[in-house]
Amino acid sequence: MKINSKLELRYKKKDSGNISHPTLHNNPKIKYNKKAESEFFVDNSALAGFTGERILYMALRELIENSLDSCEVHHILPNISVSIRQIDIENDLWTISCQDNGVGINSEKVPVAVCSFLTSGKYVEKQQRGLFGVGLKMIAAFSTKDTDKPIKVWSKSIDEEIEYYYELRTDITTNKPIVLNKKTVTKTENVIKYKHGFKIVATLRARLSHITKNKIYDYISQTSIVNPYSELVFENDDGKIIFKRRTDIMPEPAKEVLPHPADMDLQTLKKAILNFSNQKISIQNVLSSSFQKLSLEKAREIIRISEIGNKSANLFSESDLIKVVNVCKQMKFQSPHTDHLSPIGEKILTTGMMAEYVIVNNKDQVKSVNPSEDGHNQNVRILKPSLTSYSSRSIVINNRPTIIECGIAYGGDINSFKLYRFANKIPLLYDEGSDVAREVVSEVGINKMGITKKEAKEQFANNQNNKSDRAVELLPLHIFFHICSTKIPYKSAGKESIASEGEMKKYMKFCLSDLYRRVSAQIRRDLKIKDDENRLKLYKYYIPLIVDAVSDSIKVDRNRLSELFIEIAEKHVKKEIIPTAISSKDNGETNVRKKQMMSAREKNSKTENKNTMVKEEDLPQNLSKKVLRNKKIEKLTLDDFNRR
Amino acid sequence: MSAKNKRHKEIIKKIQTLMKEISNDVLIGKKMPALEISKIGYDNTFWSEKKKMLTLGDKKVIVSPNSTKKIPTFSQYLVMANAIRKLVDEEMESTIRGMYYATLSTVGDEKNKEKFWRSQEDSDDAIKAVELMTGIPREEFSVTSKPKGMISGPITLNVGGDIIDCSLGSRATSQLIPTNISDVEIVDVKADLVMVVEKDTVLNNIRKSGFIQKYNAILMTGSGEPDRATRMMVKTLNEKWKKPVVIFADADPWGLGIALRYKIGSESLSYDSDRLVAPNVKVLGMMFSDIYDYNIPEVARLSVTAEDINRANDMKKKPWLQGKQWQKELNLFLKKKEKCELDAFFKHGFKYLAEQYLPKKLREAGVI
Repeated sequence: MKINSKLELRYKKKDSGNISHPTLHNNPKIKYNKKAESEFFVDNSALAGFTGERILYMALRELIENSLDSCEVHHILPNISVSIRQIDIENDLWTISCQDNGVGINSEKVPVAVCSFLTSGKYVEKQQRGLFGVGLKMIAAFSTKDTDKPIKVWSKSIDEEIEYYYELRTDITTNKPIVLNKKTVTKTENVIKYKHGFKIVATLRARLSHITKNKIYDYISQTSIVNPYSELVFENDDGKIIFKRRTDIMPEPAKEVLPHPADMDLQTLKKAILNFSNQKISIQNVLSSSFQKLSLEKAREIIRISEIGNKSANLFSESDLIKVVNVCKQMKFQSPHTDHLSPIGEKILTTGMMAEYVIVNNKDQVKSVNPSEDGHNQNVRILKPSLTSYSSRSIVINNRPTIIECGIAYGGDINSFKLYRFANKIPLLYDEGSDVAREVVSEVGINKMGITKKEAKEQFANNQNNKSDRAVELLPLHIFFHICSTKIPYKSAGKESIASEGEMKKYMKFCLSDLYRRVSAQIRRDLKIKDDENRLKLYKYYIPLIVDAVSDSIKVDRNRLSELFIEIAEKHVKKEIIPTAISSKDNGETNVRKKQMMSAREKNSKTENKNTMVKEEDLPQNLSKKVLRNKKIEKLTLDDFNRR
Repeated sequence: MSAKNKRHKEIIKKIQTLMKEISNDVLIGKKMPALEISKIGYDNTFWSEKKKMLTLGDKKVIVSPNSTKKIPTFSQYLVMANAIRKLVDEEMESTIRGMYYATLSTVGDEKNKEKFWRSQEDSDDAIKAVELMTGIPREEFSVTSKPKGMISGPITLNVGGDIIDCSLGSRATSQLIPTNISDVEIVDVKADLVMVVEKDTVLNNIRKSGFIQKYNAILMTGSGEPDRATRMMVKTLNEKWKKPVVIFADADPWGLGIALRYKIGSESLSYDSDRLVAPNVKVLGMMFSDIYDYNIPEVARLSVTAEDINRANDMKKKPWLQGKQWQKELNLFLKKKEKCELDAFFKHGFKYLAEQYLPKKLREAGVI
């Protein structure tokens, strides 16, 4: 009956459709097709950041990040060379290539690893740059979509030590690789010169604007700052740039860890039980061996509280398991491990900060003193700051451990303000305005550095064309923030800015305040020097005016007055003790009361003014004039200086 | 003229002494030179019960070229002192703006050029500093400001050798009170009383009505805040010529402030009070109570601002306004929160102010 009524309904619909929607007649049913992952990602390429002008930037980024991950996982000092070259200006065709000395990919896995979306060796609970297994595939899919060129891959994996060569394309409708060519490469024809490694060459159709090109430069130079242990070679049509390795120290590679019980959900628990499916094992054992910070004892307690009884783990129903999950959510556990995180660390970040590589375009500086030897018009400049400092905090945000690292580089070759943001060692280049780091920088006052906004403006404002009214941005200061976590709270799918989650902002502020305090002495010293320079300059400008005024009015040896005055001024600036004719309180104001008042003041005041009234004239009317001389003043001024 | 030259020599001498002290500091003392100058402003101004006027306290400011800020200030003071010496030496005269132009220059090299004065305010300050350092008011340096005070009535002045009878044309116009007071001398005063009003518009109305002739009065105004010449003229008339002086200003805290300028002085010029303030002048109006006693219609009253209220509250605490009458007036103002200009009497007719209100007030005060 039911079927009948449904049929009837369909007929009715069909009838009505005939009248008003003739097309409905031909398509009465909605088709539920499975879309291949590859098709989905190509259609929604923005999800992976492959949009419009950013294609080359994203491609380069993905390749470099893959290479770095591939080296770090085995503690190999990375040697990476990348290049982008335009091969067909009319049709916007570019060749992009990347070669590394990482662990390579096992020859059997190469086609899927390069072409099949959502295939990755990285689906584990630890910090890595890439996570989703999308980037490389995106390059392959775009190359297949837009060009007739194959993707060329050379791989010499650490477990095979034989170099394989592939020519691949992606079957976008099925998410499967098409292998056009596969061969082993003989030793004499080796492309990969290292013991192991990986090389990919792909052709892409893309446009590269000036802005994006600069973003690529930024990306590479910033990558080299947080990866100073890698040797990076970048080549494009403007030339070749080498970012040298500055240290052999590498960060401890991230270890895989078990999930934290507070982060448990039904799915993870079911998966954990499934791992033991062929063994008869108690649920307590499953819990304690599948999650961190969960002892067998604790597991027993969980089972007791959740009142689900005791049977073999695989016999529990979903409703029982959800009780376990709920209990775990309520329960207190030790803070999660941070072993799966790989912070940059003080030594490495400091190395990076001490020698910041900046790409200099010789086009911008037509009269470059040092045109690079090979005649190319770009070069690197290495910025050496006068001091750096580092601070970090480990915190737990939403049950996920997160490490905040903050660095500061000040002075030296650095002549302007810049904020660098990194997430899991990846530079973030876009959307700075909405990033939590931006907020942190504007909210931590520079008075933590022991200087006032006014001082910063007075001393640094003319050094640059910075129109910002934020005082900190006037300083020659580079601030680095690195957030590492297995799940970075990105603000948007573009992964370019970080939102403040939980107490993250608070701790970021702690780190920055810390660093401000540490550099305060140096900055104060610099300010002092600047102030002294300014003062000397002022003396140079104003002493002639004073000397003119004096020598105009009275007979005096002009030259001698000028010489001596300048001498006194210089000594004064150098803080050699030069008494002022009238010593004064710090605010430059004295309160010289008449005699009876003075005696009262002598008792309860330390001011040295009591001796300043050496000469006093009674003046007509009640206007007063006192240009005072003081014979006992020297000693007092000395005290004055000591107090300061 | 010889007396004047003697005074000029005195001024030059004082400035030279100052310069000598600066050069001695450097050449003999081998130390940073410094100037000690009386501090001016509210925190160094005190009420003198004895003199019944605001006087300068003992606070001093040290100006020595020992900090980034003070280097320019110090040289500005000396440059100005030298310019004034030159002006006096050349027997010339200048306005304060003229002094600003005479000393204009730039400092620094090609890369860092800065103006010697950021604005005329700086040079005005420097002139004040020279007054304080030498103890001589700037009028005696022949540095003056643009005149704005006006006078009309039976008084004869000698201005730079010419005799000016201010009663001539007094139905149609008033004379400007010259600011170069060293060139002005009062020759004769035939009036019975002196009446000072806040604004020239009100003065014109009273003058037109024939008040001067009817009451044999001198009419004066400072056109708002009175300049020094106007105040000195009031003082001289009151103290030297023994003429009763009455003051009328608007019925608001601002107007009362202006009226009191003549009677007790001001914070910014408290160092010169002895020359400027006439404690015996009478402030007769316009009282706040007059608004109601003379039935000023509501449309002609003005509502007060928060600033007015603050000012009135401040005034209530001032020692010179502790009299019962003043406290009553201020309390009335704070209660009613209304103020009124003298011009509001025009609502009662153009002649009301000069022919009804003022004579009544003067009779009440026993001046006529």
